[in-house]
Amino acid sequence: MKGKYHICVQNSRIRYEFEIKRNITIIRGDSASGKTTLFSMIESYNRLGEDSGIEIVSKKECITVNNATWDLVLDKHNDSIVFIDEDSPVIKSQEFAEKIKNSGNYYVIITREDLPNLPYSVDEIYGIHNSGKYADTKRIYNEFYKLYSVSDDYDKKADIVIVEDSNAGYEFFKNICSSKVSVISAGGKTKIRELVSKYTDKDILVVADGAAFGSEINEMYLDMQKNQRTKMYLPESFEWIILRSGLIDGNRIATILDNPEDFIESSEYFSWEVYFNKLLVKETEGTYLQYSKSKLNSSYLNDKEKNRILNVIKIIIGIICD
Amino acid sequence: MLKIVFGDVENSIYHPPTYFDNTYEDEWITNPLSVQMIKDIDKSEVIGPRVIDSPVLGSISVKELSGGVKTLMLMAFDESGKIFNASACGDNCAKWICNIAKEKDLTINLHHVMSFAEVSGFQAEILNTGKIVNSYDEYLAETVKIKER
Repeated sequence: MKGKYHICVQNSRIRYEFEIKRNITIIRGDSASGKTTLFSMIESYNRLGEDSGIEIVSKKECITVNNATWDLVLDKHNDSIVFIDEDSPVIKSQEFAEKIKNSGNYYVIITREDLPNLPYSVDEIYGIHNSGKYADTKRIYNEFYKLYSVSDDYDKKADIVIVEDSNAGYEFFKNICSSKVSVISAGGKTKIRELVSKYTDKDILVVADGAAFGSEINEMYLDMQKNQRTKMYLPESFEWIILRSGLIDGNRIATILDNPEDFIESSEYFSWEVYFNKLLVKETEGTYLQYSKSKLNSSYLNDKEKNRILNVIKIIIGIICD
Repeated sequence: MLKIVFGDVENSIYHPPTYFDNTYEDEWITNPLSVQMIKDIDKSEVIGPRVIDSPVLGSISVKELSGGVKTLMLMAFDESGKIFNASACGDNCAKWICNIAKEKDLTINLHHVMSFAEVSGFQAEILNTGKIVNSYDEYLAETVKIKER
């Protein structure tokens, strides 16, 4: 499935309206915000259709699954928006991740748990916002140009930059950061929190791939609320930054980046970072900008190319550069 | 005293709202603690042991209460000895969990790091490591060590 879908679910007492545009969306938040009511309404509509008294407006069929039947139901549906409630522990399993990985469905999962087996975006974690009879979804984690900070001190210099990976992205940041900044590779997103906890007396900037960082952000955000000296910069991925720089066929790539949901097939790409990597590799193959995730092509560190990339990440330049 | 165990644990109920629907007693609903919790979490008024007035849903039955408040009532009144999964509760339930733990020894299960930021004087025993944390800061620092979370 590709695309963005507007969904409306309503009965005589409440109306939910929201959009889904990636293969995995998470809904969480306070108790009594209406999460289970939404799920129940869709489930009732699945069983009884319009006889339920519920109206669903959606270009794709909305279905629900539970812990007992998910496997069988998913075998029969390949172009649907699938809702799963928090009473299904299967969502944490590798079996579930494997099943949905090459699926043509989009999934909306109601849970407070972090799901490290699933590569979901920080941008697709929502709470339900109520206003009387009307409810919509609202992003839980607020950002300013992909920079997440609890304090308003966006320009405070960092002492340490922690980069999620140890490959091309790490090499780039190691090169551009001030000599006064220590640049450390975490060696993976699951190791970032522990690493940050070792430097509570330092100003830290975490750089990680937002497209798949969803399972880490809850705990990171709780820590940030207590220690406001940590900030996070979470672009979709390092490859997305290079694509956004305009170094490669500006207009055509910009069209893709402005609405990636119209181009990224969920059954082929478990997360958008995989797509952006593949796109960048394909677009630069055979050129002087030929890209490999495992080692940074030194052309990206030439002044002209580097400055185009810096322009994309200008929100953090004051934090990490002289 | 509040005791927290992260991850899968024996004798726990993963989805307390379903367990509640099949085990609750009428008298739980009209208990003053429940009336306060239902007012605070569900923004609803208890009319009687079988009817609640919700500002959005209208007159509702007990089974239509939120999963969080059902879990809180289990923590307060259930005497089976079961350990309830507090990940069925939002952060808006955290202060009530602590209030209940002031009146009795309460062990809860968590499958995520719940925020107790709004609870002053937070204290708990983290059963995974055996450590007693005497503040929310200590709790957050301790959770980094727990693989099961």
